Amino acid sequence: MENPYYPIDTVVEDIIVETPTIKTFVLKPTRPISFRAGQFMQLTVPGVGEAPFTPSSSPSVSERMEITVLRTGKVTDALHELEPGARVGLRGPFGKGYPMDTLEGKEVLIVGGGVGLAPLRSLIYALLERANKYKRISIKYGARLPEELCFRKEYDEWDKAAPNVDFTNTIDVPAPGWTGRVGLVTVLLDGLDVKIEDSISVSCGPEIMLKFVTLKLLEVGYKPYQIYLSMNRKMSCGMGKCGRCNVGHYYLCIDGPDMCYDKIKHVPNVFG
Amino acid sequence: MKFIDSTNFERLLKKLSSEGELFIPVRNEDTSKISLERVEDFPLPKETSFDGYRTVEPLKAFGQLLRYPVAEYPSPDADEITSEDKFPSCIVVGARACDIVAMQLVDKVQVEGEFTDPFYKIRRDKMLVIGADCTECGKSCFCNLLGNKPWPERDFDLTIAKISGGFLIEAGSERGEKIIEQYGELFTEPREGQIEARDEIRSTVEKELEENNRGYPAAEGLPEIIRDALTDEIWDEISARCVECGACTNICPTCYCFLLYDQKTDGEHFQRISTWDSCQVTGYARMAGMLNPRPRLTDRVKHRYYHKYDYLVLSHHAIYCTGCGRCIDTCSAGIDMRDTFRQVTEKVAR
Repeated sequence: MENPYYPIDTVVEDIIVETPTIKTFVLKPTRPISFRAGQFMQLTVPGVGEAPFTPSSSPSVSERMEITVLRTGKVTDALHELEPGARVGLRGPFGKGYPMDTLEGKEVLIVGGGVGLAPLRSLIYALLERANKYKRISIKYGARLPEELCFRKEYDEWDKAAPNVDFTNTIDVPAPGWTGRVGLVTVLLDGLDVKIEDSISVSCGPEIMLKFVTLKLLEVGYKPYQIYLSMNRKMSCGMGKCGRCNVGHYYLCIDGPDMCYDKIKHVPNVFG
Repeated sequence: MKFIDSTNFERLLKKLSSEGELFIPVRNEDTSKISLERVEDFPLPKETSFDGYRTVEPLKAFGQLLRYPVAEYPSPDADEITSEDKFPSCIVVGARACDIVAMQLVDKVQVEGEFTDPFYKIRRDKMLVIGADCTECGKSCFCNLLGNKPWPERDFDLTIAKISGGFLIEAGSERGEKIIEQYGELFTEPREGQIEARDEIRSTVEKELEENNRGYPAAEGLPEIIRDALTDEIWDEISARCVECGACTNICPTCYCFLLYDQKTDGEHFQRISTWDSCQVTGYARMAGMLNPRPRLTDRVKHRYYHKYDYLVLSHHAIYCTGCGRCIDTCSAGIDMRDTFRQVTEKVAR
């Protein structure tokens, strides 16, 4: 039988420093891996272990995959120590991915925080490839400090990609030389000019951000079924077998990791 | 249904033992508990015991080993480790109804769905299960509350009921039927009174179960009740006694959670290990950055009940408890699931 626990041998072709704590790893697996935007991979650092990451690159490319990683624990520490040419492993893809069918024809509101823009970038690429299929693609992004903004070089390109696409960002606290918006990402949701009844929002970021984004969206008139959240839980198998990534009765690895808020709003401590 | 006398049953097991690893129930003289032990030599040990009630080990331990390698990498052949001939066939004799039902529940998780765990699937396919009637009832047994019987009703290959001089034996699968056919000379038709003798034992055990569990609510209504008790302080009371050892989940025949971890075998080769894990310990769901969706013991104790009586009912359409009672016996804090049921029910009723 095929062994789903075996990590596919993968070369780290390039490493892009995004911020002082975030790096993008350009990976070339020994065989192409097709994935849908929002599906995740289990990335192995040999001998250290695995951790789940959603690729930040376009789902149209299967020969190479980019994974953008915040240094924050055992596996990510080891990843950040790697040099180009290092060998890692990949399993997957796992999970459902973003609700692409639901987004079609809608005003898509994308809300990202910190490294949470990484999986959303994959979605943004997928949306921009057929931007005319959506009424609107509005991207809101926040980070703590200017130097912690991810994928800075791409914002202009996104903003100008099509008439129905816009990008705005903010930083949490004022910083020398910063002339843009200041405040948590929720400030970008004040005076929102999307047609809410025709909109679906997709958010990714730390749980505390997801919580306040959700509260804000509800406040401005979004219904729970219009809110999609990239949920975070510890994952191990990726296949709904090992038991640990549940939110209520859903396993994020097979039912998520992006969950419609309507399905999980009753779960106590849904935001941790 | 056939009758097989004790001598012939041992002959049958000897013949079957040539087809795989044979595990039989053996009673520990000191504790009087019955364990499933590997037997390679005949005659069977004198402590062999096809009566009594459930064994110490849950049947799941034969499908999902406590700890085993799932990958060795890098390797020229990723699937070598999952080639079927690398797995032993095994014959487990004396599985009780609570364990046989539980194994079906674990099958739903590990085999069904988009993915199949190949290790579990192969072990299951190569397992011959011979069930046995309970001829006694343990103090902690409560299978009746879950709607189960103290004798296997289905999902076995063969099942035996001990009566005077031997066993009534029944096939529950094609494989079981073939065994009865192949070794036909070992069996006779049941004699008059033998089925009645079995039924009398069954009825005695069933009555004892009902007597022991009088006053406890039947579990079938619990998913509804438990959903109303989400924020109840009852979980604080229960978890105040828990010592977080994880014994209840390890010994549970339906708990299937595991963790994967990697280790070096030499400088260039690595191994991925799968090991049982417990949702009761703090690190179980803890993420990088010390984020934990269930940081308090109360959350984790509650989670165990919810997983069994609510979440899996919604996702897999079954309560993941068969009333074996092992968690009650093993709990050093004396937490009894039946008391929890009663407390939750009373609280929700108020």
